[in-house]
Amino acid sequence: MAKSDAQLLMERETRVRYGPVDHDQFGYALKPGNSHLERDCYLLRTTDGLSYCYRKGEGITICRADDADLSEERLWLHGSVYSAVACINGLLPVHASAVAHDGKIFAFTGPSGAGKSTLIAALGRLGLPMFCDDTLVLDLTDPGRIIGLPGHKRLKLTPQAVEMTGAEPQEKVGEDIDKYYAVAPAGDIATPLPLTELIFLEEDSTMAMEPISGAERFIRIQDDHYTSHLFAAARQFDRAGQFAHRARLASQIAMYRFSRPMDVRRFEDGVELAASHVTRIGRD
Amino acid sequence: MTSAIRKLVDNFTEADIDDEIIIMRLDTGELLGLDGTSAEIWRLIDGARDREELIGALASNYEMGRRQLAHDVGEFLGQLKDAGLIAVE
Repeated sequence: MAKSDAQLLMERETRVRYGPVDHDQFGYALKPGNSHLERDCYLLRTTDGLSYCYRKGEGITICRADDADLSEERLWLHGSVYSAVACINGLLPVHASAVAHDGKIFAFTGPSGAGKSTLIAALGRLGLPMFCDDTLVLDLTDPGRIIGLPGHKRLKLTPQAVEMTGAEPQEKVGEDIDKYYAVAPAGDIATPLPLTELIFLEEDSTMAMEPISGAERFIRIQDDHYTSHLFAAARQFDRAGQFAHRARLASQIAMYRFSRPMDVRRFEDGVELAASHVTRIGRD
Repeated sequence: MTSAIRKLVDNFTEADIDDEIIIMRLDTGELLGLDGTSAEIWRLIDGARDREELIGALASNYEMGRRQLAHDVGEFLGQLKDAGLIAVE
Protein backbone atom coordinates (compact mmCIF):
# COMPACT_ATOMS: atom_id res chain seq x y z
CA MET A 1 0.00 0.00 0.00
CA ALA A 2 1.30 3.47 -0.87
CA LYS A 3 2.68 5.44 2.03
CA SER A 4 1.14 8.74 3.04
CA ASP A 5 2.88 12.05 2.47
CA ALA A 6 3.53 12.32 6.20
CA GLN A 7 5.09 8.84 6.34
CA LEU A 8 7.35 9.64 3.39
CA LEU A 9 8.26 12.94 5.01
CA MET A 10 9.29 11.26 8.25
CA GLU A 11 11.25 8.58 6.39
CA ARG A 12 13.09 11.26 4.46
CA GLU A 13 13.74 13.52 7.42
CA THR A 14 14.92 10.77 9.78
CA ARG A 15 17.65 9.46 7.50
CA VAL A 16 20.85 9.19 9.52
CA ARG A 17 24.47 9.91 8.79
CA TYR A 18 27.43 9.96 11.16
CA GLY A 19 29.73 12.94 11.51
CA PRO A 20 30.68 15.88 13.71
CA VAL A 21 27.97 17.81 15.58
CA ASP A 22 28.50 21.43 16.56
CA HIS A 23 27.39 21.88 20.18
CA ASP A 24 27.79 25.68 19.92
CA GLN A 25 25.47 26.29 16.98
CA PHE A 26 22.85 28.12 19.06
CA GLY A 27 25.37 30.60 20.43
CA TYR A 28 26.24 28.72 23.60
CA ALA A 29 27.82 25.39 24.45
CA LEU A 30 25.06 22.80 24.90
CA LYS A 31 25.89 20.73 27.94
CA PRO A 32 25.50 16.94 28.18
CA GLY A 33 21.97 15.93 29.18
CA ASN A 34 20.38 18.88 27.37
CA SER A 35 18.59 19.57 24.12
CA HIS A 36 17.65 22.68 22.17
CA LEU A 37 14.98 23.10 19.51
CA GLU A 38 14.82 26.30 17.51
CA ARG A 39 12.95 26.82 14.25
CA ASP A 40 14.09 24.07 11.89
CA CYS A 41 16.91 22.67 13.98
CA TYR A 42 17.17 20.32 16.97
CA LEU A 43 20.26 19.49 18.96
CA LEU A 44 20.52 16.78 21.64
CA ARG A 45 23.55 15.88 23.70
CA THR A 46 23.25 12.85 25.97
CA THR A 47 25.25 12.19 29.11
CA ASP A 48 26.56 9.00 27.48
CA GLY A 49 28.61 10.62 24.73
CA LEU A 50 26.04 10.71 21.94
CA SER A 51 25.07 13.88 20.08
CA TYR A 52 22.28 14.30 17.56
CA CYS A 53 21.64 17.18 15.24
CA TYR A 54 18.60 17.42 13.01
CA ARG A 55 18.15 20.18 10.47
CA LYS A 56 15.07 20.31 8.28
CA GLY A 57 15.82 18.97 4.82
CA GLU A 58 19.21 17.59 5.87
CA GLY A 59 18.27 14.64 8.08
CA ILE A 60 19.91 13.57 11.33
CA THR A 61 23.60 13.63 12.11
CA ILE A 62 24.84 11.45 14.96
CA CYS A 63 28.20 12.01 16.59
CA ARG A 64 29.65 9.29 18.81
CA ALA A 65 32.28 10.33 21.33
CA ASP A 66 35.08 7.83 21.89
CA ASP A 67 33.48 6.60 25.10
CA ALA A 68 29.86 6.78 23.87
CA ASP A 69 27.33 4.20 25.07
CA LEU A 70 26.20 2.90 21.69
CA SER A 71 23.59 0.62 23.22
CA GLU A 72 21.30 3.61 23.72
CA GLU A 73 21.82 5.19 20.32
CA ARG A 74 18.65 3.76 18.78
CA LEU A 75 16.61 4.53 21.87
CA TRP A 76 17.36 8.26 21.64
CA LEU A 77 16.92 8.21 17.87
CA HIS A 78 13.48 6.63 18.06
CA GLY A 79 12.43 8.68 21.08
CA SER A 80 13.38 12.31 21.63
CA VAL A 81 14.95 12.86 18.22
CA TYR A 82 12.06 11.28 16.34
CA SER A 83 9.62 13.48 18.28
CA ALA A 84 11.60 16.62 17.55
CA VAL A 85 11.80 15.83 13.83
CA ALA A 86 8.03 15.31 13.81
CA CYS A 87 7.41 18.64 15.54
CA ILE A 88 9.67 20.61 13.23
CA ASN A 89 7.77 19.15 10.28
CA GLY A 90 4.34 20.05 11.64
CA LEU A 91 3.48 16.64 13.06
CA LEU A 92 2.45 16.22 16.68
CA PRO A 93 4.08 13.49 18.78
CA VAL A 94 2.09 12.27 21.76
CA HIS A 95 3.48 10.18 24.58
CA ALA A 96 1.27 7.16 23.96
CA SER A 97 1.23 3.52 22.95
CA ALA A 98 -1.58 2.34 20.73
CA VAL A 99 -3.42 -0.59 19.23
CA ALA A 100 -5.56 -0.65 16.12
CA HIS A 101 -9.02 -2.09 15.76
CA ASP A 102 -11.52 -1.84 12.93
CA GLY A 103 -9.35 0.67 11.07
CA LYS A 104 -9.02 3.03 14.02
CA ILE A 105 -6.37 3.85 16.59
CA PHE A 106 -6.92 3.52 20.34
CA ALA A 107 -4.04 5.20 22.13
CA PHE A 108 -3.11 4.77 25.79
CA THR A 109 -1.23 7.61 27.41
CA GLY A 110 0.29 8.26 30.80
CA PRO A 111 3.63 9.02 32.39
CA SER A 112 6.57 6.62 32.23
CA GLY A 113 5.76 3.56 34.29
CA ALA A 114 1.99 3.88 33.82
CA GLY A 115 1.88 0.57 31.96
CA LYS A 116 1.39 1.67 28.35
CA SER A 117 3.69 -0.86 26.70
CA THR A 118 2.64 -3.66 29.03
CA LEU A 119 -1.00 -3.10 28.14
CA ILE A 120 -0.26 -3.03 24.41
CA ALA A 121 1.61 -6.34 24.71
CA ALA A 122 -1.27 -7.89 26.64
CA LEU A 123 -3.87 -6.60 24.18
CA GLY A 124 -1.78 -8.10 21.40
CA ARG A 125 -2.19 -11.47 23.05
CA LEU A 126 -5.94 -10.97 22.60
CA GLY A 127 -5.49 -10.27 18.90
CA LEU A 128 -5.23 -6.49 18.82
CA PRO A 129 -2.27 -5.40 16.66
CA MET A 130 0.17 -2.78 17.90
CA PHE A 131 0.10 0.60 16.22
CA CYS A 132 2.98 2.21 18.11
CA ASP A 133 4.83 2.07 21.40
CA ASP A 134 5.63 5.13 23.47
CA THR A 135 5.39 7.76 20.75
CA LEU A 136 2.34 8.31 18.56
CA VAL A 137 2.92 10.84 15.79
CA LEU A 138 -0.20 12.66 14.62
CA ASP A 139 -0.76 14.25 11.23
CA LEU A 140 -3.05 17.28 11.62
CA THR A 141 -3.09 18.24 7.92
CA ASP A 142 -6.74 17.31 7.39
CA PRO A 143 -8.80 19.74 9.50
CA GLY A 144 -11.62 17.21 9.72
CA ARG A 145 -9.73 14.36 11.36
CA ILE A 146 -6.51 13.43 13.11
CA ILE A 147 -4.38 10.73 11.55
CA GLY A 148 -1.77 8.67 13.39
CA LEU A 149 1.40 7.41 11.75
CA PRO A 150 2.47 3.86 12.56
CA GLY A 151 5.42 3.77 14.91
CA HIS A 152 8.50 1.66 15.34
CA LYS A 153 7.89 -2.04 15.17
CA ARG A 154 8.82 -3.31 18.60
CA LEU A 155 7.65 -2.90 22.16
CA LYS A 156 9.95 -2.02 25.03
CA LEU A 157 9.08 -4.10 28.09
CA THR A 158 10.40 -4.43 31.62
CA PRO A 159 11.21 -7.96 32.85
CA GLN A 160 8.00 -7.84 34.91
CA ALA A 161 5.98 -6.84 31.83
CA VAL A 162 7.54 -9.71 29.89
CA GLU A 163 6.47 -12.08 32.63
CA MET A 164 2.96 -10.66 32.92
CA THR A 165 2.26 -10.67 29.20
CA GLY A 166 4.14 -13.77 28.10
CA ALA A 167 5.96 -11.74 25.47
CA GLU A 168 9.14 -13.06 23.86
CA PRO A 169 12.01 -10.80 24.96
CA GLN A 170 14.77 -9.92 22.51
CA GLU A 171 17.86 -7.82 23.18
CA LYS A 172 18.07 -5.18 25.91
CA VAL A 173 16.94 -1.68 25.03
CA GLY A 174 20.16 -0.23 26.46
CA GLU A 175 23.09 -1.38 28.56
CA ASP A 176 21.85 0.45 31.65
CA ILE A 177 18.11 0.21 30.99
CA ASP A 178 16.19 -2.70 32.40
CA LYS A 179 13.91 -3.12 29.41
CA TYR A 180 13.84 -5.52 26.49
CA TYR A 181 12.62 -5.21 22.95
CA ALA A 182 9.74 -7.53 22.10
CA VAL A 183 7.68 -8.24 19.00
CA ALA A 184 3.99 -7.40 19.32
CA PRO A 185 2.06 -10.68 19.64
CA ALA A 186 -0.64 -9.75 17.09
CA GLY A 187 1.73 -8.00 14.71
CA ASP A 188 1.70 -4.36 13.87
CA ILE A 189 0.05 -1.93 11.48
CA ALA A 190 1.93 -0.28 8.63
CA THR A 191 -0.64 2.22 7.38
CA PRO A 192 -1.80 5.53 8.88
CA LEU A 193 -5.18 5.40 10.60
CA PRO A 194 -7.51 7.91 12.25
CA LEU A 195 -7.06 8.42 15.98
CA THR A 196 -10.36 7.55 17.61
CA GLU A 197 -9.61 7.63 21.31
CA LEU A 198 -6.98 8.76 23.75
CA ILE A 199 -7.22 6.74 26.96
CA PHE A 200 -5.45 8.02 30.08
CA LEU A 201 -3.95 5.35 32.30
CA GLU A 202 -4.38 6.07 35.97
CA GLU A 203 -3.91 4.21 39.21
CA ASP A 204 -6.90 3.78 41.47
CA SER A 205 -8.20 1.26 43.98
CA THR A 206 -11.15 0.51 41.72
CA MET A 207 -11.24 -0.37 38.06
CA ALA A 208 -13.22 1.75 35.62
CA MET A 209 -13.29 3.12 32.09
CA GLU A 210 -14.98 6.52 32.14
CA PRO A 211 -15.40 9.17 29.45
CA ILE A 212 -13.72 12.54 29.88
CA SER A 213 -15.80 15.43 28.67
CA GLY A 214 -15.84 19.19 28.28
CA ALA A 215 -13.15 21.42 29.73
CA GLU A 216 -11.32 18.48 31.24
CA ARG A 217 -10.43 17.33 27.72
CA PHE A 218 -8.76 20.67 27.10
CA ILE A 219 -6.87 20.48 30.39
CA ARG A 220 -5.76 16.93 29.66
CA ILE A 221 -4.34 18.00 26.32
CA GLN A 222 -2.54 20.85 28.03
CA ASP A 223 -1.02 18.41 30.50
CA ASP A 224 0.34 16.19 27.77
CA HIS A 225 3.75 15.01 28.81
CA TYR A 226 7.07 15.76 27.25
CA THR A 227 6.14 16.58 23.68
CA SER A 228 3.74 19.52 23.75
CA HIS A 229 6.47 22.05 24.49
CA LEU A 230 8.51 20.76 21.55
CA PHE A 231 5.58 21.17 19.19
CA ALA A 232 4.83 24.66 20.51
CA ALA A 233 8.48 25.66 20.12
CA ALA A 234 8.66 24.31 16.59
CA ARG A 235 5.39 25.89 15.47
CA GLN A 236 6.25 29.19 17.15
CA PHE A 237 2.70 29.48 18.38
CA ASP A 238 1.52 32.63 20.01
CA ARG A 239 -0.89 32.25 22.90
CA ALA A 240 -3.99 32.24 20.69
CA GLY A 241 -2.43 29.76 18.27
CA GLN A 242 -1.57 27.40 21.08
CA PHE A 243 -5.10 27.66 22.41
CA ALA A 244 -6.66 26.94 19.02
CA HIS A 245 -4.38 23.94 18.56
CA ARG A 246 -5.32 22.45 21.92
CA ALA A 247 -8.99 23.20 21.41
CA ARG A 248 -8.94 21.35 18.13
CA LEU A 249 -7.37 18.27 19.69
CA ALA A 250 -9.78 18.39 22.63
CA SER A 251 -12.75 18.66 20.28
CA GLN A 252 -11.73 15.96 17.83
CA ILE A 253 -10.31 13.25 20.07
CA ALA A 254 -12.61 11.28 22.34
CA MET A 255 -10.97 10.72 25.71
CA TYR A 256 -11.38 8.16 28.46
CA ARG A 257 -9.91 7.65 31.89
CA PHE A 258 -8.87 4.05 32.51
CA SER A 259 -8.30 3.72 36.22
CA ARG A 260 -7.12 0.47 37.75
CA PRO A 261 -5.08 -0.81 40.68
CA MET A 262 -1.38 -1.37 39.96
CA ASP A 263 -1.72 -4.87 41.28
CA VAL A 264 -0.40 -7.82 39.31
CA ARG A 265 -3.31 -9.95 40.53
CA ARG A 266 -5.79 -7.56 38.88
CA PHE A 267 -3.80 -7.14 35.69
CA GLU A 268 -5.83 -9.57 33.58
CA ASP A 269 -9.08 -7.91 34.66
CA GLY A 270 -7.73 -4.61 33.43
CA VAL A 271 -6.64 -6.08 30.12
CA GLU A 272 -10.08 -7.59 29.61
CA LEU A 273 -11.76 -4.30 30.38
CA ALA A 274 -9.51 -2.42 27.97
CA ALA A 275 -10.02 -5.03 25.25
CA SER A 276 -13.79 -5.04 25.60
CA HIS A 277 -13.82 -1.25 25.53
CA VAL A 278 -11.76 -1.09 22.35
CA THR A 279 -13.68 -3.79 20.53
CA ARG A 280 -17.04 -2.41 21.68
CA ILE A 281 -16.20 0.96 20.23
CA GLY A 282 -15.17 -0.74 17.04
CA ARG A 283 -18.54 -2.38 16.73
CA ASP A 284 -20.53 0.80 17.39
CA MET B 1 -32.09 53.56 29.41
CA THR B 2 -30.69 50.15 28.50
CA SER B 3 -27.04 49.17 28.82
CA ALA B 4 -26.17 46.58 26.22
CA ILE B 5 -23.51 44.09 27.21
CA ARG B 6 -20.91 43.19 24.65
CA LYS B 7 -17.95 40.86 24.58
CA LEU B 8 -14.50 42.41 24.33
CA VAL B 9 -13.47 40.05 21.58
CA ASP B 10 -9.93 41.37 21.27
CA ASN B 11 -9.21 40.34 24.84
CA PHE B 12 -9.88 36.60 24.66
CA THR B 13 -10.22 33.52 22.54
CA GLU B 14 -12.74 30.76 23.17
CA ALA B 15 -13.68 27.22 22.20
CA ASP B 16 -16.71 24.98 22.63
CA ILE B 17 -15.92 21.50 23.87
CA ASP B 18 -19.00 19.35 24.29
CA ASP B 19 -21.45 21.59 26.16
CA GLU B 20 -18.75 23.60 27.89
CA ILE B 21 -16.92 26.73 26.89
CA ILE B 22 -13.25 27.42 27.52
CA ILE B 23 -12.16 31.05 27.42
CA MET B 24 -8.57 32.20 27.53
CA ARG B 25 -7.51 35.74 28.36
CA LEU B 26 -4.96 36.74 25.77
CA ASP B 27 -3.06 39.04 28.13
CA THR B 28 -2.45 36.51 30.89
CA GLY B 29 -3.22 33.11 29.39
CA GLU B 30 -5.65 32.54 32.25
CA LEU B 31 -8.34 29.98 31.45
CA LEU B 32 -11.98 30.20 32.39
CA GLY B 33 -14.27 27.20 32.03
CA LEU B 34 -17.99 27.77 31.69
CA ASP B 35 -20.73 25.18 31.90
CA GLY B 36 -24.43 25.09 32.73
CA THR B 37 -25.93 28.51 33.45
CA SER B 38 -22.69 30.42 33.04
CA ALA B 39 -22.19 28.96 29.56
CA GLU B 40 -25.77 29.84 28.72
CA ILE B 41 -25.32 33.44 29.86
CA TRP B 42 -22.12 33.73 27.86
CA ARG B 43 -23.89 32.50 24.73
CA LEU B 44 -26.70 35.01 25.27
CA ILE B 45 -24.33 37.98 25.39
CA ASP B 46 -24.71 39.33 21.88
CA GLY B 47 -23.90 43.03 22.15
CA ALA B 48 -27.60 43.92 22.06
CA ARG B 49 -29.14 42.47 25.23
CA ASP B 50 -28.82 44.32 28.50
CA ARG B 51 -28.79 42.74 31.94
CA GLU B 52 -32.58 42.60 32.28
CA GLU B 53 -32.96 41.01 28.88
CA LEU B 54 -30.41 38.37 29.77
CA ILE B 55 -32.35 37.58 32.94
CA GLY B 56 -35.59 37.48 30.96
CA ALA B 57 -34.10 35.08 28.41
CA LEU B 58 -32.91 32.78 31.19
CA ALA B 59 -35.99 32.97 33.42
CA SER B 60 -38.10 30.57 31.42
CA ASN B 61 -35.50 27.83 31.82
CA TYR B 62 -34.93 28.10 35.55
CA GLU B 63 -37.19 27.41 38.45
CA MET B 64 -35.38 29.74 40.85
CA GLY B 65 -37.01 33.06 41.68
CA ARG B 66 -36.27 36.04 39.49
CA ARG B 67 -34.55 37.83 42.37
CA GLN B 68 -32.13 34.95 42.89
CA LEU B 69 -31.54 34.69 39.15
CA ALA B 70 -30.87 38.43 38.92
CA HIS B 71 -28.37 38.14 41.75
CA ASP B 72 -26.54 35.22 40.12
CA VAL B 73 -26.46 36.85 36.70
CA GLY B 74 -25.21 40.11 38.20
CA GLU B 75 -22.46 38.34 40.06
CA PHE B 76 -21.34 36.45 36.99
CA LEU B 77 -21.38 39.55 34.79
CA GLY B 78 -19.26 41.29 37.42
CA GLN B 79 -16.67 38.51 37.20
CA LEU B 80 -16.60 38.74 33.41
CA LYS B 81 -16.22 42.50 33.58
CA ASP B 82 -13.41 42.30 36.14
CA ALA B 83 -11.64 39.80 33.88
CA GLY B 84 -11.87 42.22 30.97
CA LEU B 85 -14.07 39.92 28.93
CA ILE B 86 -17.18 42.14 28.62
CA ALA B 87 -18.14 45.80 28.70
CA VAL B 88 -21.46 47.37 29.57
CA GLU B 89 -22.26 50.19 27.17
